[in-house]
Amino acid sequence: MLIEARNLSYEYMPGTPFQVEALKNITLGIEKGSFVGIIGETGSGKSTFVQHFNGLLKPTSGQLLVNGKDIWSHSIDLRALRTKIALLFQFPEHQLFEETVFKDVAFGPRNSGLKGKELAGRVRMGLEMMGLDYEIYRDRSPFTLSGGEKRRVAMAGILAMSPEVIILDEPTAGMDPLGRQNFLEQIERLHREENLTVILVTHNMEEIACLADKLFVFSRGKIVLQGSPGDVFASAEQIREIGLDVPSLTRLLQELKKKGKNIRTDLFTAEEAAAEILCRLGGRDRL
Amino acid sequence: MSMQSITLGHYIPGNSLLHQLDPRVKLISLFILIVALFLIKTFNGFFFYIFFIGALFISSRLPWKYFFRGLKPVLFIVLFTLILHFLFTKGGEVYWRLGALTVEEMGVFMGTFMTLRLILLVVTTLLITLTTSPVAFADGIEHLLRPLRPLGVPGYEIAMMMTIALRFIPTLMEESDKIRKAQMARGADFETGNIFRRARNMIPLLVPLFVSAFRRADDLAVAMEARCYRGGEQRTKMRELKAHFLDYVGIFTVSGICLAIFFTGI
Ligand SMILES: Nc1ncnc2c1ncn2[C@@H]1O[C@H](COP(=O)(O)OP(=O)(O)O)[C@@H](O)[C@H]1O
Ligand SMILES: [Mg+2]
Repeated sequence: MLIEARNLSYEYMPGTPFQVEALKNITLGIEKGSFVGIIGETGSGKSTFVQHFNGLLKPTSGQLLVNGKDIWSHSIDLRALRTKIALLFQFPEHQLFEETVFKDVAFGPRNSGLKGKELAGRVRMGLEMMGLDYEIYRDRSPFTLSGGEKRRVAMAGILAMSPEVIILDEPTAGMDPLGRQNFLEQIERLHREENLTVILVTHNMEEIACLADKLFVFSRGKIVLQGSPGDVFASAEQIREIGLDVPSLTRLLQELKKKGKNIRTDLFTAEEAAAEILCRLGGRDRL
Repeated sequence: MSMQSITLGHYIPGNSLLHQLDPRVKLISLFILIVALFLIKTFNGFFFYIFFIGALFISSRLPWKYFFRGLKPVLFIVLFTLILHFLFTKGGEVYWRLGALTVEEMGVFMGTFMTLRLILLVVTTLLITLTTSPVAFADGIEHLLRPLRPLGVPGYEIAMMMTIALRFIPTLMEESDKIRKAQMARGADFETGNIFRRARNMIPLLVPLFVSAFRRADDLAVAMEARCYRGGEQRTKMRELKAHFLDYVGIFTVSGICLAIFFTGI
């Protein structure tokens, strides 16, 4: 198990009238090389939870283990850990601060001690992974870029640290559909080609269903459902109860099944679902 | 965490007597009580004052720890005053001697006296600020400044600026917390190194914070203009301030205490 939470709880501002119990007794494990989705309604504790993975928040009680070691034991260097387990916050474009794209992307790798050619190499790698041309962007000011470009630069800054795990907190919030799709394709490719462990926080069911191999559903600081997307979305009732919805494709397949069709409901890409529907309804099972 | 200490320094919601009083009454009372504190000449006066403040404190049901927390920043000044008086104010019986150093009766008296006065000053102010919401405070100030309008004191604008500033303090604290964490996730180090190094390490935090503050200010200005905002004169208010019976009782009690202290000379 790469990352493991054991009975982890977290309270904001404990001992004050503003106390919030954001996480309650969370236990879960994330395997190396997996693509994990964390979903849940706004305020369910998703962001709070992922900030524990790289030691930005310290559990009020319980433990967070990386490679079997408690990250709050004294032997762990949190700054080094953070370059291995990279976290991209929501609206990451707000974190840009340097005069040029190059310097901003170089901030992370420079903090871990890289210099000169190696550093430039990392910056180029990060930018290119996000589909940004190194020569064109390196000397531009991050503040003159478009919103989508800014976000890519911020993401490049994370990738340039060459992490083993990347945590993305609602990375596509506020993006247009095409930008969103492009962005997710890059992530998916990184996961496939570089064997990067990806943890994606979202409340967009469509986007997570066909990407993740494991889903954790949060509600009010607790995990209420977990498993493969197929398993999780099979509990459509429960998903709706906590104010989320299943992907529209799943809904369609589930409705068809309810009507008595012998059909699979655990398909999440349009192509697969279309093939399944054609095969089941166009053939033997004609309406 | 930084956010906690700042947000909590100020207002603790509640519904005690003090919470319900009109902010204007509280502001005036605070002024009168501070005057009273400086009129007190004897320890008996302090006992009288502590008795009154203590009763208010108990009725306000504020946890003790907020007072200790509020006193912490002035602790140094208090101790400094105490030591200075003990060592250098001379007169009366000599209590203690070590070489040229003496602690004398007058020193002990003045030291204790001044320390008590300072502590009570802070405690009184805390009692008012902890029970008054910042918005009510701004409203109160605006009202109290109204008579000065003909003299060119822009009370309304001052109150509006205060309200906006107060409104954005938590937002900016939250924002800075988020940016700080985002840069820490990129390996930024805000905790170690000498002072120059630390100041330079703050740049990744400060630049985005300023950018965001300007963006917010801009958004707010546009939003206010889009709704045809104009300040001053004929504007009506959502919450009209209205003094009730208890407010009059409050102001008379406090004035009474101040006069009593002045005339009895305690
Ligand atoms: N910095 C903070 N201070 C106090 N409470 C917070 C803070 N951040 C989040 N919370 C509270 O913790 C809970 C979980 O929030 P969060 O983790 O941001 O949820 P999500 O990312 O799922 O929307 C919410 O009730 C939120 O109000
Ligand atoms: Mg969130």
